Amino acid sequence: MPQHTIKRFDEELDKLKELVLSMGGLVERSIGHAVKSMLEQDKKLANKTVDRDKAINALEVQCDEMTRDILVRRQPAAGDLRFIMGIIKVVTDLERMGDLAAGVAEGTLRSLEHTPKNFSNLDIMGEKVQRQVNRTLDALSRGDTELAMTVIEKDERIDILYKRMYREMLTYMIEDPRDITASIILSNVAKNLERISDHATNIAEMVIYIERGHDIRHVDHEAAAKLLSGEEI
Amino acid sequence: MNTPKITVRDLKLWYGDNEALHGIDVDFAEKQVTALIGPSGCGKSTLLRCMNRMNDRIPGCRIEGHILLDGDDIYAPEVDVVQLRTHVGMVFQKPNPFPKSIYENVAYAPRIHGLAENSSDMDIIVETALRKASIWNEVKDKLNAPGTALSGGQQQRLCIARTIAVKPNIILMDEPCSALDPIATAKIEELIDELKEEFTIIMVTHSMQQAARISDHTAFFYMGDIIEFGETGTIFTQPAIQQTEDYITGRFG
Repeated sequence: MPQHTIKRFDEELDKLKELVLSMGGLVERSIGHAVKSMLEQDKKLANKTVDRDKAINALEVQCDEMTRDILVRRQPAAGDLRFIMGIIKVVTDLERMGDLAAGVAEGTLRSLEHTPKNFSNLDIMGEKVQRQVNRTLDALSRGDTELAMTVIEKDERIDILYKRMYREMLTYMIEDPRDITASIILSNVAKNLERISDHATNIAEMVIYIERGHDIRHVDHEAAAKLLSGEEI
Repeated sequence: MNTPKITVRDLKLWYGDNEALHGIDVDFAEKQVTALIGPSGCGKSTLLRCMNRMNDRIPGCRIEGHILLDGDDIYAPEVDVVQLRTHVGMVFQKPNPFPKSIYENVAYAPRIHGLAENSSDMDIIVETALRKASIWNEVKDKLNAPGTALSGGQQQRLCIARTIAVKPNIILMDEPCSALDPIATAKIEELIDELKEEFTIIMVTHSMQQAARISDHTAFFYMGDIIEFGETGTIFTQPAIQQTEDYITGRFG
C-alpha cells in the first residue's frame, strides 16, 4: 500500500502497531510463564507473572491514548479506520488475556498449599493456547487472514481439551474429597486458558475485519470462509 | 437506491481537444444527497455543471451522451435552458447574492418566471424560501437591507433561499461551504439534511469529512472517470477500488 501524503500519519500507525504487538509479546510471555509456574510449582515465577500484568495494563492505556490521538488528528477512513477500530478491540482482548494469565499464576500460588495429584493435560493445553496466541499476533503483524482463519478453526480443539480436563478433575473430586481444592484450582486454570484462546480468536476475527472489511464475529466457520473467498452469504 | 431522478449515460465532454469526461454513467437518487469527491481537475464540477447546462456557454465545450431528468434528455433540442434551470438550481462556492435587498434577492427569479400573481403572493414565496433555507428568523426584520451586508454563512443561506424560491427539484451545490467557517458550515450541513426531504441534492466537496457526514451516496472521480460509486457508509469504510481507498485515506499523489 502506498504511503500517506502526510508521512507522520504512517509513522503514527506503525508506532501504534508496534506498541500493540509488544503488548501482545508481553501477554504471550505471561501465559507461558503462568503455565510453567503451575507445572513446576514455581512461586517466584508465579509472582513475577502476576506483577507483569501491571505492565500489560499500562500498555493498554498507552495504546488507547495513541488511538485516541490518531482519531482526533487524522480522522481515519476506509482501511485506516478499520485498522483503528480493530486495534481498539484487540487491545481490550490483550488486556483481558493478561488478566487471565495473571489468574493462572494466582492459581499457582493457591495450589502451593494444595498440590494437585497430577496436572492432567495442562502442559499440552498450555502449549496449544500459547501457539494460538502466537499465531494470532503473527496474523495481526503480517495482516495474514489465512493464518487468522487457522486460529479461529483451532479454537474448537482447545474447547475440547478444556472439557476433558474438567471431566477428569470432577472424577478426582468424586474419588477423594481432599482433592477438591486442588481440582477446582486446576479446572479454573484450564478455564482461564480456554478463555485466553477465545480472546485469541476475537483478535483473529479483527485481523479479518481490518484486512478485508468482513465482520465474521457471529457467523459460522463455513460462512466465514465463503465470505473470505468473495462469495455472498 | 430510490428511483433515479437524474440518469447520466455515457457522458463525454471536451474542452476544445481536451476530453474532460470519458463516458460517465451514474444515477442520482431522488431526495437523497450525493457527494462528488476527487482531486482538483478530476471532472466533478464539470459533471455538476452539465446537469443544468452551465457548460453551454463555454467556448469550445462539446458534449456527447445523455443526461435524463425524470427520463427526459436535458440536451434535447426542444429544451428551454432557462426553464431547465428552474428545475435544476445551483449554489456556488462563494456566496454571490445580487447587490439588492434580501427580499429582492429571493423575489428576483420568481418574478421573472411569473410565479406570483400579486405582492402578497410574492411575500409568501419569499418567506417560505427564507424559512426553508433556515434564515428567516435572522432576516425577517431587515428584508430591505442589502443581501451583501449579511455574514458569509447567511449570504450562502440567502443564495440557497434564492435557488429554492423557484421550486426546483434538484439543487446542485459546488463546494457550498468552502468559504465558510465551521459554525456556518454546520448550519449549511444541517440545512442540507432538511432540504433533502424535498429536493434531490448533488454536491461537489473537497472535504471528505463533509461527504461522509451528509451524503447518502458518494462518487469518487479521478481524471474524468467515476472510479467508484456507492453508499457513503461503504465507500468510507470498505471501498472496493484501491484508488478510492488511496484517495480517502490520504495516500494520493
